[in-house]
Amino acid sequence: MFKNFFLSELRYSFRQPMLYLFFLIVFLLVFAANVTDNVSIGGAIGNVFRNAPNIITIYSLIMTIFGLLFATAFFNNSALRDHKNNFQEILFSKPIDKFGYFMGKFLASLFLSTVPLTGVFFGIILGSKVAPLMGWIEADRFGPFFIETFINNYFIFILPNMFIGGAIIYSLAQEYKNTMISFVGAMLIIVGYSIAGELVSDIDNEKIASLVDTFGIRTYSITSKYYTPLEKNTLNPSLSGLILYNRLLWVGFAAIILFASYTRFSFTTKKSKKSKKNKSDLNKVILSVPKKAPKVQVFKNSALLHFKSFFKLNMNSIYKHVTFKILFVFSIIQLIAGLATGFEYFGLKSYPLTYFMVDQVNGSSSLFILIILVFFSGELVWRDRDVQVNEVIDSTPHSTLIPLFSKTLSLFSLSVVIHLVLILIAIIYQLISGFTQIEFSLYVKDYIYNMFPIYFTMCAALVAIQVIVNNKYIGYMVSVIVLLGFDIILLILDVNSNMLSLGSTPYMIYSDLNGFGPSNTGVFWFSLYWILFSLLLLSLSGLIWNRGVKKSFKERLNSINSNTSKTYSIIVSSIGVLFILTASFVYYNTQILNSYKSSDRYEELAVSYEKYYKKYKNLPFPKIIEAKYNIDIFPKKKMADVLAYLTLTNNKEKPIDSILLNVNKQWDLSFEFPNATIISKNEDHGVHFYRIDPPMLPGDTLILEIKNKYETKGFSNGGETTSIVKNGSFLNNFEILPNIGYDSSKEIGDKNKRKKLGLPPKERMPKLEVDCGVNCDKNYLTQGFSDYINVESIISTSIEQTAIAPGSLIRKWEENNRAYFEYRLDHPSQNFYSFISAEYEIAKREWNDVDIEIYYDAKHSVNIDMMLDAVERSLNYYTENFGPYYHKQARVIEFPRFSTFAQAFPGTMPYSESFGFIIDLEDEEDNNVIDAVIAHEMAHQWWAHQLVGANMQGGTLMSEAFSEYSSLMTLKDIAKTPMKMREFLKYDHDRYLRGRSGELEKELPLYKVENQQYIHYGKGSVILYALQDYIGEDKVNSAMKEFLEKYRYKTPYPTSLNFLEILEPKIPDSLNYLIDDWFKEITLYDNRLKTAFAKKLDNGKYEVSIEIEAFKIKADSVGNEKKVSLNEWIDIGVFSDSDEENLIHQQRVNINDSLMRFTMIVDSLPAKAAIDPRHILIDRVFSDNTKPVSFN
Amino acid sequence: MRQLVLKNLSKTYPNNVKALDDVSIEIKSGMFGLLGPNGAGKSSLMRTIATLQEADSGSIFFDDLNVLDNTKEFRQNLGYLPQEFGVYPRITAEQLLDHIATLKGISIKNERKELVEYLLQKVNLYDKKNKNVKGFSGGMKQRIGIAQSLIGDPKVLIVDEPTAGLDPGERNRFYDLLSDVGEDVIVILSTHIVDDVRELCTQMAIMNFGQIVFSGAPDDGINSLKGRVFEKQISKSELDSYKESHQVISNKLIAGKPVIHVLNDKIPDKSFKKIEPSLEDVFFTNIQKNNQ
Repeated sequence: MFKNFFLSELRYSFRQPMLYLFFLIVFLLVFAANVTDNVSIGGAIGNVFRNAPNIITIYSLIMTIFGLLFATAFFNNSALRDHKNNFQEILFSKPIDKFGYFMGKFLASLFLSTVPLTGVFFGIILGSKVAPLMGWIEADRFGPFFIETFINNYFIFILPNMFIGGAIIYSLAQEYKNTMISFVGAMLIIVGYSIAGELVSDIDNEKIASLVDTFGIRTYSITSKYYTPLEKNTLNPSLSGLILYNRLLWVGFAAIILFASYTRFSFTTKKSKKSKKNKSDLNKVILSVPKKAPKVQVFKNSALLHFKSFFKLNMNSIYKHVTFKILFVFSIIQLIAGLATGFEYFGLKSYPLTYFMVDQVNGSSSLFILIILVFFSGELVWRDRDVQVNEVIDSTPHSTLIPLFSKTLSLFSLSVVIHLVLILIAIIYQLISGFTQIEFSLYVKDYIYNMFPIYFTMCAALVAIQVIVNNKYIGYMVSVIVLLGFDIILLILDVNSNMLSLGSTPYMIYSDLNGFGPSNTGVFWFSLYWILFSLLLLSLSGLIWNRGVKKSFKERLNSINSNTSKTYSIIVSSIGVLFILTASFVYYNTQILNSYKSSDRYEELAVSYEKYYKKYKNLPFPKIIEAKYNIDIFPKKKMADVLAYLTLTNNKEKPIDSILLNVNKQWDLSFEFPNATIISKNEDHGVHFYRIDPPMLPGDTLILEIKNKYETKGFSNGGETTSIVKNGSFLNNFEILPNIGYDSSKEIGDKNKRKKLGLPPKERMPKLEVDCGVNCDKNYLTQGFSDYINVESIISTSIEQTAIAPGSLIRKWEENNRAYFEYRLDHPSQNFYSFISAEYEIAKREWNDVDIEIYYDAKHSVNIDMMLDAVERSLNYYTENFGPYYHKQARVIEFPRFSTFAQAFPGTMPYSESFGFIIDLEDEEDNNVIDAVIAHEMAHQWWAHQLVGANMQGGTLMSEAFSEYSSLMTLKDIAKTPMKMREFLKYDHDRYLRGRSGELEKELPLYKVENQQYIHYGKGSVILYALQDYIGEDKVNSAMKEFLEKYRYKTPYPTSLNFLEILEPKIPDSLNYLIDDWFKEITLYDNRLKTAFAKKLDNGKYEVSIEIEAFKIKADSVGNEKKVSLNEWIDIGVFSDSDEENLIHQQRVNINDSLMRFTMIVDSLPAKAAIDPRHILIDRVFSDNTKPVSFN
Repeated sequence: MRQLVLKNLSKTYPNNVKALDDVSIEIKSGMFGLLGPNGAGKSSLMRTIATLQEADSGSIFFDDLNVLDNTKEFRQNLGYLPQEFGVYPRITAEQLLDHIATLKGISIKNERKELVEYLLQKVNLYDKKNKNVKGFSGGMKQRIGIAQSLIGDPKVLIVDEPTAGLDPGERNRFYDLLSDVGEDVIVILSTHIVDDVRELCTQMAIMNFGQIVFSGAPDDGINSLKGRVFEKQISKSELDSYKESHQVISNKLIAGKPVIHVLNDKIPDKSFKKIEPSLEDVFFTNIQKNNQ
């Protein structure tokens, strides 16, 4: 019996297209992600094999979310099919057994819903074979397959996930016989996933997120977050730890639901009253004799009324449609989950500014609206025919085009309604959060700018596709191909234009400083282009609208004449003309006026640049010793005029007879170099070659005059520059001047790509050497083009804006209705400065002789005092511990949220709008992003600006790691308890461990760091913090101070070895191993507490005995690890509370064996014991370092 | 007196099936019955007249109006109930009729409301006007179907196999409704039930393989066979030999034994009995002619 139901269910589904369609979707998605870098599922692949177990697992997991849709389809249909077909009365009158029926169908559906997901495996296997053959991806990017990858993924994730989803859906379907309710059940799972996603935005919540995630997706990503490339390539998911608990929890939960449903299930059906009533009516005899037919007037032209009637009917039916309701609820839940959690950094959230709300609304609605539009485009176009009312409707005297346009408008109205409701929810959220500066107009403007064009285009195009294709399911397929597949085709063809990808526009971001922009012109024209395109397509499709019986394409073409009136032809042709005009205009702007290169062309150029010009790598160039700038910024026109005088000197031993310039094509350059004549100009590469005759002799000095002009012409495909905008322009000196000499940053960096293109491996940073020679004449920032120089700038902008350049403000005046500012550096500095212009409020504070100034947007005054405090605190700590500050001002300057960072120029620190100005810090005592970031940037005024590493390995240790350390020390100063620092440090630990997991080349020891952020920020700060904990803050600071005094504002530049020389004598012999372990090698610790017992002593104290296990691990650059012998000093300690906030005892013990026992005596009741209680050491699993104490 | 003149209508489907093969016919006001076996082309013909399908060649004139070139005008005069009449889900009887009435040009809201109520009363569904039509039984749906086809006083009313699936009582009620329409209206009724035509129609045509094999008044058809139809009860085993030796126009079982009707100018032999020809005999005779 079971077998019968099981097999018949399978037979039924194998004959339906659904199964194959689902399989195909999964297969194609994974295949595409596997064979190109342009499609990605769950993040970039990086350094590991493209078919690594880790990658396959991530694909499988993400696809199980789609799988929920499949599960809903299979389980719900299976449970309701007999019911819907009114077959259950026949069926249930037969002597069938309940188990066979219930479980047969359930298990068949379970099996069926896992089938499409195996498309992941086929996609990746086929991809790994096809991609190397076709030359898409190098063969060595694929590693071996492991059979366990497939088996484990199927049995740990795919099958259980479908079981969980299926049990919920199937039980609900059996209980309620209502598709809507089944869908709501499926939704619960999405909600679990969503909430888990929001929870992991802060690492404090990782464990709970692992359990909450119904499908185990976050669970796996948390489990694997510190995997090294080697581990990603070889480790298969296994049923242990968090994954095991998660699976047990949810499979158990699902099993209980299924069992409950099974016990409730019975073959007797409830008869609905409705059908009885209908039956009795059947035999009723017509008694009433109707009165005479009323007189009515018949109008021949009532198109508007027809339109309204169609529209009303469509809307009526969609709003009652289950799918609509479900997707609507989905997007609401998505929005609420996003609003309720969603941390940005350090577990903090921004104020609910309207632009954040807009981002959230667009983010949570767009996918669902797209699904709704695709689904209902088919539904609406086919509705009359599907329900067979088409012949009646088609034979009425309405104009053929009316249903077409009313359907399109109905579809469009859906998107509007959903969007409006979501906006309403966002506004309610703002109010609940007590945030009252709601910008209603921004909601409206954003909709008009960003969402209206895309939704309208989609609606019209999708309807047109259904009309033209004239087959609902093929229509769906074409729609999906147009929406998803077409972009892939374009990628393969290496065509990259927003004009070809339906609804695409340049990217535009709203910021409080700059409003919409800077690409708003482009967005407007592209939007118009797409609206006209879709309108044209739609009205042309109207010509071949299938009225009456189903007709072949030829027949429909033949009936074009009967469908067109003269007015309609005129309208269509004028749309056509407008479209062609707009298209030409867009084409002119994006392809001719602002032409750009395809990615293949870019690659080609990068290759030929390297080939032709690499030989000039060692061409001597003169050094800049002084710079004067005249910069005129025209914010409204998005223009800038630069006139720079650079004083150059030939500090080389040979005469300089030629000079190579890399010119940015966006800029219009003219160049006056005494005695220089241009000998070649390569427009493709932007390379200008000059001969200097007579040559510049060693010691010669001359002044180079450069005029450079940036002009925004029309608009471009990719959007306009974010450097020169209407409010918040931000330029640096590298952007506004041509690059001198061979520019190795133009080379292709990706090692796999280089190999594919036949290039030699890219030269890495110069190796760290004791006798560094000429390499120490360059620092890694200015690469030898300059050392510490004097700079003067005169910068002008529009009258209402303030322009800022590094240095003291010498003069400020107005001329020609423009504002002028003259700045001069008070001390020679790195040749690295910013030019900024916007309308600012300025907050000022005096600190000794230094002006602390915060330049900010009037809307963002909330955290300004905190910023002033942070600058002051930094100045105090750094001057006391490291040495004097050489500028007369310390400025923090807000810039628009085109990017999220802060950067230190001499005395001047641009700081992104979205990185602290709007963060909600009202209830925060501990993790204060502003304190941390400002202290870091301020520290750069010492570490990078007074002292900077030579251009070789280890260079960034002295700038980034030192600054991050300095920042931590200022935080330590204000931290109320030692445990607070653990809160800060955990982000650095996480940054390092995650970073090495995603390393693309190779991990290096700290003292040889090659500008790898996870090493110099993450590991650097952890190591230096640990060092001061082990040898003392004053020792570390005095080493840094000595180091600074020795090299401050001097050349040659120091290396990390120079620092270690000064540091080493300050370390006691017993800890000497730390230099090797922490700086010169890659060392990890694997410590855990095995047992912790306590007993009360007679004197009222407590004795805590612990057993610890400790390993020291050395790793190589790709993550091969080996355990080494121990002779370490590590802390052990006791907490009096289970939250690990109150550390009542701590001692540093010598650990020379993997397994050791210790006893500690504490005064008060112990709750937890720990090894390394303050998380000083790098340990991949820290949670097992503590354990509750048990009493014996 | 109105008339609908069909001339040389032909239509071949992409799969080479000739749905209409040179159909020419004149239809005058009153009930016109279109008989034919399944697949004869009745629905194709109806749809062609109802402007839902284009013919490859030929013309249709409604009085002086060229129907194929003036579809919109003709549709103003048309009422159509297709063979399979479905309804939108999630809308009520009243909403559906209101929508169709709007499309038929009844633009004044109150008039429309009055008309819809009148029609609902007429088809005895007034008390169901706020119910979802989707839940209606087959008979009720068919009544909604006829109600919608009557909207706007059509001059040409086309009903395609309207009684298929209805029980005898429903069928009678349905024809009552149909017979209520004005005298001046051309009603084209397709059916494969011969008695329907006999009872209702003043003119008729029989179709087979896309051709009109007979047209005229039902009585004319019957008269043409007068005295030439004979009946005999035979055993099952004899059937084949009779089919070879006689022109057997029909056979059916009566009390389990085959009774054959034979067309002959005189009585074949004594065992046969001369009978009054029925419309059914006319039907089968014409079909057979065409089959050969």
